Amino acid sequence: MNVEKLKIAVVGFGKMGMLHASILNVLPGVQLIALCEKSGLIRKFLKKAFSNIYVVDDVEKFSNLDLDAIYVTTPIPSHFPVAKNIYSAGIACNLFIEKTLASNFDDAKKLCDLAQKFGGVNMVGYMRRFTVTFLKAKDLLDGEVIGEPISFKAYAFSSDFFRVKQNSKVQTPSIGILRDLGCHAIDLALWFFGDFEVEKSKLESIVSGGSEDSAYITVKAPNGLYGEFNVSWCVDKHRMPEVGFMIKGPKGVMNVNDDNLELVLSGGKRYRWFRHDLGDSVAFWLGRPEYYREDEYFVNAVINKNSVEPSFQISAKVDRLIDEIKAKAY
Amino acid sequence: MIRQEKVLLVGDNPFHGISHLSQERSRVRGDAPTDPEYAAKLIQISLDNGANGFMFSVSDKTLSILNILRNNGTLNSLGLYAIVPYAYEYVRLSGKVGGISGLAKKVVKEIALSGSFNAMATGLKGVLKTDLNSLVKTYLAYEISRIKSSAGKHAKLDSVLLHQLITDMCLGFGLDWVFRLYVDFMLKAGLEPGFNTGNLALLVKKFRELGINLEKVLIAAPLNKAGFQMVPTKKECENALTELPKPNVLAISILAAGYLKPLEAIDYIAGLPNIKGVAVGVSKETQACETFRLLKEKLVKA
Repeated sequence: MNVEKLKIAVVGFGKMGMLHASILNVLPGVQLIALCEKSGLIRKFLKKAFSNIYVVDDVEKFSNLDLDAIYVTTPIPSHFPVAKNIYSAGIACNLFIEKTLASNFDDAKKLCDLAQKFGGVNMVGYMRRFTVTFLKAKDLLDGEVIGEPISFKAYAFSSDFFRVKQNSKVQTPSIGILRDLGCHAIDLALWFFGDFEVEKSKLESIVSGGSEDSAYITVKAPNGLYGEFNVSWCVDKHRMPEVGFMIKGPKGVMNVNDDNLELVLSGGKRYRWFRHDLGDSVAFWLGRPEYYREDEYFVNAVINKNSVEPSFQISAKVDRLIDEIKAKAY
Repeated sequence: MIRQEKVLLVGDNPFHGISHLSQERSRVRGDAPTDPEYAAKLIQISLDNGANGFMFSVSDKTLSILNILRNNGTLNSLGLYAIVPYAYEYVRLSGKVGGISGLAKKVVKEIALSGSFNAMATGLKGVLKTDLNSLVKTYLAYEISRIKSSAGKHAKLDSVLLHQLITDMCLGFGLDWVFRLYVDFMLKAGLEPGFNTGNLALLVKKFRELGINLEKVLIAAPLNKAGFQMVPTKKECENALTELPKPNVLAISILAAGYLKPLEAIDYIAGLPNIKGVAVGVSKETQACETFRLLKEKLVKA
């Protein structure tokens, strides 16, 4: 492995591909050397815009590039075939895949097996684990500041399809709200509380027949923890997607979301932290600071050969839970 | 200290329902600031109390605000600082129209429907020859024509700024040709080229490396006492200001999204070098009145 400059390629030049590629290009110790994009028109423009970056239409054309790591930022249904190709052809063994790991648990498990077989660092892009408010929440929960959690209510809302009329030309992403946004809340819950099982779930179509636009889920953990998830992309006044939790413990209540964290202890003491209070600065700001932290963490893990969280193995649990939610939905 | 330019701009974030402190805060504000009629009223009150310009992302909403201001005669006394493209709206839209390819098709269709023969011809050439320069120029001309058609030909369009997301993505990718093309295009159009960035120190360094004349460009970047969104550090952003040849920075997020009290926030800005002005969003009449009165008192009269 080239320890001077890590050679990285990005597959898929949609909004997440652009974001990661741009951040990777400024990360110290990284050289963005190749892009893979299916659209012929976009590829033509990429070749003109980036004279020093190799642009291809198929990941197998990466095989002679001696890559140290690859980012897979294609639409979710193609994560499995793309990653499988990369592993099978021996193109790279360090893989970052945007969330969710796969479009179902079966494919997620197969990717876990491939990752284990080929080794390397593998990570899934649940970037909210790098949001300063959720990092602080995790720290407080691990420190048992509110005691062992008894229950939680989580939400993941956006206004992306609020007031979109039925049968309009607008199409919701076929992956549905659970894999688009709900997965972030599920991943954070797994990170905060450990594993749990789905009790009940309800899915709703709002925009068009068959679209998965909102979900209500109840879960239970082996230690008795009870949780609820409410997710939707048809909610008013959520211009930016927002994820949040209200967590109750014997010693207090914590409310945390993308913007701030509020802690109310049983004795009445109240604390509140905004991003401003939690050291939210990064070396290069694009999109949200958590994207830079996430990429920096992955790159450092590849350089130092560390294991990372969330790995494929950990993230596959989100895919398992989403499959369970769909199977139990009424 | 700001003495000559005295640019005190009303920012448009509240008019889009944006609060960088928390989305909860923008929900608490209610719908009033997002109503174009009320937004125009807030701008008028701000003008009466010391503001002299409006900084806005070019969107249907802000264009309708310009229309109202034009019809009530306010626009002629107002300096306009437009930000293009309204990148977050395009990001949202891309999810609804089939990704980046779908988005590109939609924008091309909008340009075609705008009725500008020149824009259509240049744009078509750009697509056929995959000529990025032609496409960028076509798009910029289209955005400027949208502003002018809403604001009227007598409106004072002082600067057109490249949106933060685009500026910083170009910075990340090292797309130096975009910066050069943008500066040349705007100067030829008789406008001050502007760049909205979240990476002030890096951008200033980049422009120095590229030999871009920093006297001819405007930069809008977060600057506040709390160091909120000052990347990579508050100190490095302050140092970048000292390296500029003249006051050409518009300070944004000066209240750190409502985290700071106006007085302490403005005192901090007043002590910074090379600040051309500030842009501050307001969502209530009293706030518009008090904020711009204070800004005028502290930044202009000092």
